[in-house]
Amino acid sequence: MTFELEPLVGTECWRLVVGGRAVPVRVQEQEGRLLVTIGADRVEVGVRRALPVPSRRASAQNGADRVEVRAPMPGLVVSVPAAIGEPVRAGGAVAIVEAMKMQMEVASPTDGRIEEIRVRPGQEVAGGQVMVLVRVSAPGAGEEALP
Amino acid sequence: MPLPRRLLVANRGEIAVRIVRACRDLGVEPIAVYAPVDAGAPHVRLADDALPLPGDSPAEGYLNGPALVELARRCGAAAIHPGYGFLSENPSFAAACEAAGIAFVGPPASVLRMCGDKAAARAAATSAGVPVLPGSGAVSDAEAQSAAEAVGFPLLIKAAGGGGGKGIHLVRSPDALPGALRLARGEAQTAFGDPRVYLEKWVERPRHVEVQILADSAGGVIHLGERACSVQRRHQKLIEEAPAPGISPELRDALLESAVRVARALGYRNAGTVEFLLDGEAFFFIEVNARLQVEHPVTEMVTGVDIVAAQLAVAGGEPIPFAQEEVRHTGWAVECRISAEDPHGGFLPSLGKIDGVIEPQGPGIRVDSGFRAGCTVSRHYDPLLSKVVAWGRDRAEAIARMRRALAEYAVSGVDTTIPFHRWALEQPAFLGGAYDVRFAEEWDGAVPSQEAERLAAEVAAAWLRRKAAASVLVSDGQAAGPASRWISAAREEGLR
Repeated sequence: MTFELEPLVGTECWRLVVGGRAVPVRVQEQEGRLLVTIGADRVEVGVRRALPVPSRRASAQNGADRVEVRAPMPGLVVSVPAAIGEPVRAGGAVAIVEAMKMQMEVASPTDGRIEEIRVRPGQEVAGGQVMVLVRVSAPGAGEEALP
Repeated sequence: MPLPRRLLVANRGEIAVRIVRACRDLGVEPIAVYAPVDAGAPHVRLADDALPLPGDSPAEGYLNGPALVELARRCGAAAIHPGYGFLSENPSFAAACEAAGIAFVGPPASVLRMCGDKAAARAAATSAGVPVLPGSGAVSDAEAQSAAEAVGFPLLIKAAGGGGGKGIHLVRSPDALPGALRLARGEAQTAFGDPRVYLEKWVERPRHVEVQILADSAGGVIHLGERACSVQRRHQKLIEEAPAPGISPELRDALLESAVRVARALGYRNAGTVEFLLDGEAFFFIEVNARLQVEHPVTEMVTGVDIVAAQLAVAGGEPIPFAQEEVRHTGWAVECRISAEDPHGGFLPSLGKIDGVIEPQGPGIRVDSGFRAGCTVSRHYDPLLSKVVAWGRDRAEAIARMRRALAEYAVSGVDTTIPFHRWALEQPAFLGGAYDVRFAEEWDGAVPSQEAERLAAEVAAAWLRRKAAASVLVSDGQAAGPASRWISAAREEGLR
């Protein structure tokens, strides 16, 4: 669903156009929070970036030979069954994350070698947070390196 | 005396605008007055001429009786309309106008004095055979305990010399009486310079109904029907309607007839309001408001009578321009008071500059407003910005129109009571018409709907997206078209 804010009047009055209808709202910015008045209600919204979106520049710098393995959802890191320098196969677990009382393995999308580990067991992670960097094996060379 | 050629409007805000408009309709030249902070306000711009009030303090000007009389004399105004508040019920000011040969548009000083003395007004009502709440006359500390036993608990201690909710204390049991008495007497002395207090029975969940009256100098008295005003907070009205819902025809007739009898007993003149408390089918006189009321438009909408025009006629010595039988009541009217207060923050005054406003319009809607974009809401005056009045053929239509009007109303820069009104107009108790003076307390427990929380999250997301775009598009900061969203995306990229 798309939603858009259109100016109505002054600095605070807007229309939220959402799902084929328009709702007049009043928005005030206060100390990094938003006060949103809709009809009879006022809702205070604290905003922080929950999903660090993959950065083109970062991947360019890293080059195509490095892959970021990200947390698929916000949760708690249970364990990191990987060590720097160790080889890893595509589909192999590099971290285990728990959320909503479910644990899930986070797998490397590629064959390669663990280059960097940015989380430790017991740590809270945001959805999309980079947990592990994997250096992609050069074709041929990677296969040779793996047992 | 016929209508004056010029009239001085000794007030500000929406009521000054209202009086200016009545003058226009009648061919009277309206002259406004203004304190420095009100230069350029709507009441100043709509009048033929506007005279600055002396003094630097914003409040003192509109309360400076001698200066107002002098300004009226100098500009050749033959009449002064005081509006409500300020000097509207001040007997000395009315007397000063009379002494200067200027018509005071309101009751004469003697009537104002009687209405201002609550004990005297109660006595007048009793003499007219109208029930008053069980109560005492002014009591000394020594008499208080026995007087309280006679009235019965719970009871209110009220100041004999004033009103406006000051000096009022609720006492639920005899042991709390001496302490409350001391406080009330102190407050009465401070607020009104008169330490006299009296006791009055307290009704737990009353309804507030009042009757609009008109009286002329020949002794003619008529009523223009009743208004229900039970949506209140701290004795301040928020929503009024006419007629009153949920009262029997017999009770209505008794109220209307009682109001006329009280007015006669007081020798009343000009427009006024007789207030009653209802306890089931029982009713009790409380007081007379000897002025034009804030909520007079609901009566105007259902009767078609211009109450301010009628005030000017009778102030000039004319009889009331129509007979009781000629007053026809049609449909229903509801008024919401739009104040610069934060309903989500205990209704505290919200100060600041209003940087944008869209007022509602359309069928059945009347907006009496005293502000515009660019105005600053200061702490010096009453926070009332405007009144939205909706008329319909029946109550349901009036309420539907009011909902539509409140959804259209946009005020940017200060908090307003609009969210409270939008809540109230959805409550079963209000829609059923059987609400009492405790109704507005329910607001404090209201929590945001899930729908509002979901929409607020979308607003926040869209807001941040716009903000990111606006920081690139410094030239306008307005519409985020497709192009600016590309720029916005690039900008976000650049931040990483």
